[in-house]
Amino acid sequence: MVNPIYIVAIALGVSFAIGVLNKLGRNFTGSLVLAAVSVMTFISYQWFAAFQFGEQTAKMIYTAGFMPPLSINLLMGHYEAFITLMINVIGLIGGIYMFNSLKKRGYNAQVIYLVLLMGLNVMVMTRDLFNLFVFLEISSIAIAGLILLEKGTRSMGAGFKYILATSIISGFLLLGIIFAYYFTGSLNLDDVVAANLSSIKGGALAAFMIMIAIILEIKPFPANGWGLDVYEGSDVGLSAVISGASATASFFVLYKVMDIAGVEWNYYISIIGAITFVGSNLLGIAQKNTRRMLGYSSIGQLGLLMMILGFRDILGEQTPYIAFGILISHYFAKAGLFWLSGIVKSKSLKGWSNIRKKPFFLFLMGTFIFALIGFPPFPSFFAKWTLVMELVQTGNMTWVIAILFGSMMEAVYLFRWFGYAIKGENEHLEDFKIKIHKITPVWIAAIGLYVIGYFTAQFTEVGAAINFIPLAFVGLLLAIDFLPVMIKNTIAITGMALHFYFVYPELEGDTLRLIFEGIFMVGGILALIAGYAYKGKRSGFYPVAILMYAGLTAIIEAGTTLEFFYGWELMTAGSYFLIIRGKRSMSHGLSYMLFSIGGAYALLAAFGMAHVGQDSFAMDILNTITYIPTWAYGLLIVGFLTKTAAVGLHIWLPGAHGEAESDVSPMVSAILLKAGVFGIVLTLIGMGAENNQYSELAYALGWLGAITALVGNLMAIFQEDAKRLLAYSSIGQLGYIVLGLAMMTHLGWLGGFSYVINHFLYKAVLFMTIGAVVMRVGTHNMYEMGGLIKRMPLAFLAVMIGIIALSGVPPLSGFAGKWLFYNAILDKGWYFQGAVMFFSGGLAFLYLWRLIHTVFLGQLKDNHRNVKEISIWFLIPIYTLIAGLMVFAAKPQWVLQPMGDMIAQFFPTGQLVWDGGTAISQYGYWAGSLVGVTIGASFVFVLFWLLVSTRKAHKVKQFDITYSGERPERPETTHVAYNVFEGFYQAMWIATIPMVETFWNRVTEVLHETAEFTRKIYSGNGQAYMLHIVFFILVTYLVIIGG
Amino acid sequence: MMEYLELGHIGLIIGFLLILVGFWGVLTQKNIIKIIVGFSILNTGINILMVSLGYVKGKTAPIIDAAVAQGEGHDVSQSIVDPVPQALVLTAIVIGFGITALMLAYAMKLYNAKKTLEINKFNDLKW
Amino acid sequence: MLKNILVALVLSVMAYMFYNAYSSYETRTELTGMSHHFASKGAEEVGAANLVTSIIVTYRGFDTLGEVTILFLTASIISFFLKLKSGDKEKIIRRDTSELLVTASQLLIPIIFMFGIYVFMNGHLTPGGGFQGGAIIATGVALMIMANPNISLNHNVIHWVESISGVSFVIIGVLGIFLAGGFLDNRMFSLGEFGDFFSAGAIPIIYSFVGLKVGAELSNILNKYQKSQKEI
Repeated sequence: MVNPIYIVAIALGVSFAIGVLNKLGRNFTGSLVLAAVSVMTFISYQWFAAFQFGEQTAKMIYTAGFMPPLSINLLMGHYEAFITLMINVIGLIGGIYMFNSLKKRGYNAQVIYLVLLMGLNVMVMTRDLFNLFVFLEISSIAIAGLILLEKGTRSMGAGFKYILATSIISGFLLLGIIFAYYFTGSLNLDDVVAANLSSIKGGALAAFMIMIAIILEIKPFPANGWGLDVYEGSDVGLSAVISGASATASFFVLYKVMDIAGVEWNYYISIIGAITFVGSNLLGIAQKNTRRMLGYSSIGQLGLLMMILGFRDILGEQTPYIAFGILISHYFAKAGLFWLSGIVKSKSLKGWSNIRKKPFFLFLMGTFIFALIGFPPFPSFFAKWTLVMELVQTGNMTWVIAILFGSMMEAVYLFRWFGYAIKGENEHLEDFKIKIHKITPVWIAAIGLYVIGYFTAQFTEVGAAINFIPLAFVGLLLAIDFLPVMIKNTIAITGMALHFYFVYPELEGDTLRLIFEGIFMVGGILALIAGYAYKGKRSGFYPVAILMYAGLTAIIEAGTTLEFFYGWELMTAGSYFLIIRGKRSMSHGLSYMLFSIGGAYALLAAFGMAHVGQDSFAMDILNTITYIPTWAYGLLIVGFLTKTAAVGLHIWLPGAHGEAESDVSPMVSAILLKAGVFGIVLTLIGMGAENNQYSELAYALGWLGAITALVGNLMAIFQEDAKRLLAYSSIGQLGYIVLGLAMMTHLGWLGGFSYVINHFLYKAVLFMTIGAVVMRVGTHNMYEMGGLIKRMPLAFLAVMIGIIALSGVPPLSGFAGKWLFYNAILDKGWYFQGAVMFFSGGLAFLYLWRLIHTVFLGQLKDNHRNVKEISIWFLIPIYTLIAGLMVFAAKPQWVLQPMGDMIAQFFPTGQLVWDGGTAISQYGYWAGSLVGVTIGASFVFVLFWLLVSTRKAHKVKQFDITYSGERPERPETTHVAYNVFEGFYQAMWIATIPMVETFWNRVTEVLHETAEFTRKIYSGNGQAYMLHIVFFILVTYLVIIGG
Repeated sequence: MMEYLELGHIGLIIGFLLILVGFWGVLTQKNIIKIIVGFSILNTGINILMVSLGYVKGKTAPIIDAAVAQGEGHDVSQSIVDPVPQALVLTAIVIGFGITALMLAYAMKLYNAKKTLEINKFNDLKW
Repeated sequence: MLKNILVALVLSVMAYMFYNAYSSYETRTELTGMSHHFASKGAEEVGAANLVTSIIVTYRGFDTLGEVTILFLTASIISFFLKLKSGDKEKIIRRDTSELLVTASQLLIPIIFMFGIYVFMNGHLTPGGGFQGGAIIATGVALMIMANPNISLNHNVIHWVESISGVSFVIIGVLGIFLAGGFLDNRMFSLGEFGDFFSAGAIPIIYSFVGLKVGAELSNILNKYQKSQKEI
């Protein structure tokens, strides 16, 4: 083992020697500095490896040959080794990144960089308070110097403010240390801790001054304007080092010294941390400058870490694991983002659109952002999970809310930024150059996140159960992204088919899961087949589509709540990327993401509650929630409703589904929405059939479903955009499902489940067909279409069958759902809800008529005279699905009977009685095939009669009508179907006011205004910043020590 | 009531007063040079405080020479003040010097950039 | 106005905080803990008559290394911060220097240098040491610059002194690990006769290097300030 003192000796020896060696040129000195950092990295790695994989115990290093407290001693323990390794690694790769910018400013800058790293190392290792002060000063001064790497007044101002602020802080630190010495007679940290300062008269003040100074080094809100200025104004390479190394070291120092203050400080640290986390992230929303925003985010993350440190008594032995996960994610992700911002160069958020000129940059940026928010498979995901579990377990819901709120705010600005990068206008933006020494560190950070994320999962028993193979498959698809669609599509389909093949035996017998897995996998494969219609590479599509399916199947297969949540987050991430691929989907993608994250946090909190009093994380703990169960189930429902787009949480859906690509719309509508339904099913099973305790919850859910159905259908009829019409229709259909499930009766569930399957079938047919039509005609607007029956008869037939099924008229399967539904409603006695449903059903006819009439009937538009039938690759899955519809219609018992058996496990009473193909309920009977045959025969008869009777009718050609020489200002008004429900609108407009949207817009505005107002305290004046610091200290003093 | 103030107390009072004066300067003066002077006063206050806390009633400097009676069996610790704060204060002075020098260099460059030393003119970065 | 009230408020709360600190203070009547050990055993263990020096150079030598590093850092930052632009070298500062200053400086500078060297070489025996000695040397340099504003100090000499003394300090520190009890242990050489010039092990050597380094750093800083003056 190399003595860690050599970290110091080598750094200083090289630094001092460079004063002479600089004659050999800056490349030489720069390489020498990097070599020194490499040796330092090696030393800390060697120790870390010995602790991690060997039997090494913590080692004290004494200087001067005397024992402490006489001399200064350093400690190399497991944590110290790890933290110094983090510092040195970022020092090394950051040094490579900064090689040129350091070189440009000469050997002095290179030396300062090396000394900075050395100072941080000693800060971590030293066990002497005054020595800590000295090396803290070294690091501060070095940073103040390196800020000047960036030329100009801005960075100079930032540097000066930084010195002013750190001088005040170190003044207090020094006062605290000297008083601690006065009271305890020692400067050794362990001695001071043993002396228990807070028990000595006046000692508490000494401890206070030390603590507050160290806390201020972490830049707590709001006394952190100086830190923000540095993040914004300094060289990006330095910002990365500050965020990754300096902040990490400060955090560790806080951990080290917090023992000298009493245990009640734990609480204060948590409070300060929470204020910092929430405050910084709230203010981040108002940022338009990338680097400053990243600064806010960095400070916020450190606030979260402070909270965790404060909770260490609550979290117990989990503390290191949680802190590690958050710290390492922040460490790599933030450094990576800072480095990226140095390559992209743009200072404003919107300027990041040029990043997608180099697609792999999006991958890097996405990796970092998802890691910061805490998505799987990154370490922060597992850390946040454990954190919430433990906090809820110990009854600290308030803290959980603060953490989730702060994380939500962080997600808002990070995803908005990501949206700009993916979708923003980038025509006028300049391209940027990539230098190999600048991009390599970014790649290292990104890969580090994945690798460490994998190992983080393995640390825990529940985490180790997670199946990473689907994710590896996503990685494979990412790696072969350069191949043409044909190959990638085949690989993707094969992968999914294989997966289904292997999973099927496991699920056999579990009808509930099999239904959903079937929808996800079979539906997914069918939707993917349509992908063959695309030409070229379709860059980035397959990894994200498979990511979504990986998440979906993980939800089904989940044995534990962690696996479920893991799948849920993967699915969210994948679907977000799918949705945002659409042309005008930037804002919809963002709102989808925010609702999803909000929903996911609700789930997280609820899973935490379910875990209270339980040893395991198995899924069935949802059935036995004892800790404020009504709240827990309520949170679960709200969380899942964000995905089913219940009214109030639905505003993301129309845009997201409507603007998505042609084959993505069926994926996110017919398939993805069912994930939310699956969650609701699990929740309701958990609440229990016979349990009246939650009947109010179910009742409210029922009404929510009914209103959703009404609102969805009502909005659908006023749409001019065909895909939005279908999107609103989905909202309505999901309302039916939710209502059916909420009834908590056998028939209600059977109705709900048959809707689940039906909606999957016909919505996939409709969305795929309309999507394929849109691909041909190039517009979503129905009034720009018409008469397409002549060009696309097969598409017409598909839509025809789809809308018959959807509207619920016989003979197709939609009728089964309706029939079951009204039986269930009569059974349950929810007549008012039934009336609402009945009315919504009527509305459905209106928009369905419009869909088929406007698009396919009437006059063919001039520019569509030569359009072709929709692509064969769409027709294959469409007609496969139609075959499914037909089977369901002809032999409903094949589906409904096993479903009924499954539901009978939960709701044994009130089952249907089957007599062959005839279902008998207490209100009547229904024979699917008989109804089908009767209706089919009448239909054929009517058709035949129509054909015969209209044989002689004159066909009106398009040019038979004229506008009498006028040219209409708005040509769409001349289309018969434009605004066709005007009269109806007059009656119903009041119900179409987008109240929900207005509400959410108002929420956003309030947040923005708060952020905008609050951030004005950062006036940019160094003196004001100092005042903030002093104010912060004194207020804390009054609160903690008191008058 | 104390009849007279001992050296330690006097040092402490002066130290605290200087710190307050320093803070006053730092927080109210607009001129960067004056702020730097404020910091110097503040540091001096802290240094005086440090030395005062090491004071032991009636003892002399911690250098073993004729003034500190030597000889077999004599315990030096009975005749000197605490040497540790004196060692620390030296370090603190040097650090203070370093920071002051750095601040002055900054002041020079800031003045060259904007031809002013008003601190509130350097607020390019904010919010 | 609001700000003044705020500052007044802040200062009064701070005064209150200090009052609390003050009221918990009592003059110490004896040495305790580690200071007692230094006082009673320090001379024996380290062999320096000046206990402060033995603490600075040996017991807490690691701090001193940090201290030297801070000066070094400051000098480096100022060097690259106040970097000369091309053309600066030709600038001539036309500031009158008084005859008195010039004459006196010629007389005083060698004495000041000698005094500085004396102070750091005797740091283990008498008040003073490397930092003080280095600072005295730097005053000599300051005087030189003031007497002759256009003087051009020899960079190379400064850098060599700075660099060699710094590296030597570190090397002696490392030697301590091999030859004595640990990093910066002064007992790698014989402690000698207590009170002699050649005593206290490596302390005089270390302090000499510190003195040279500090002197060089400070001179360097002064030099940079001098060079970057804009007035012509």
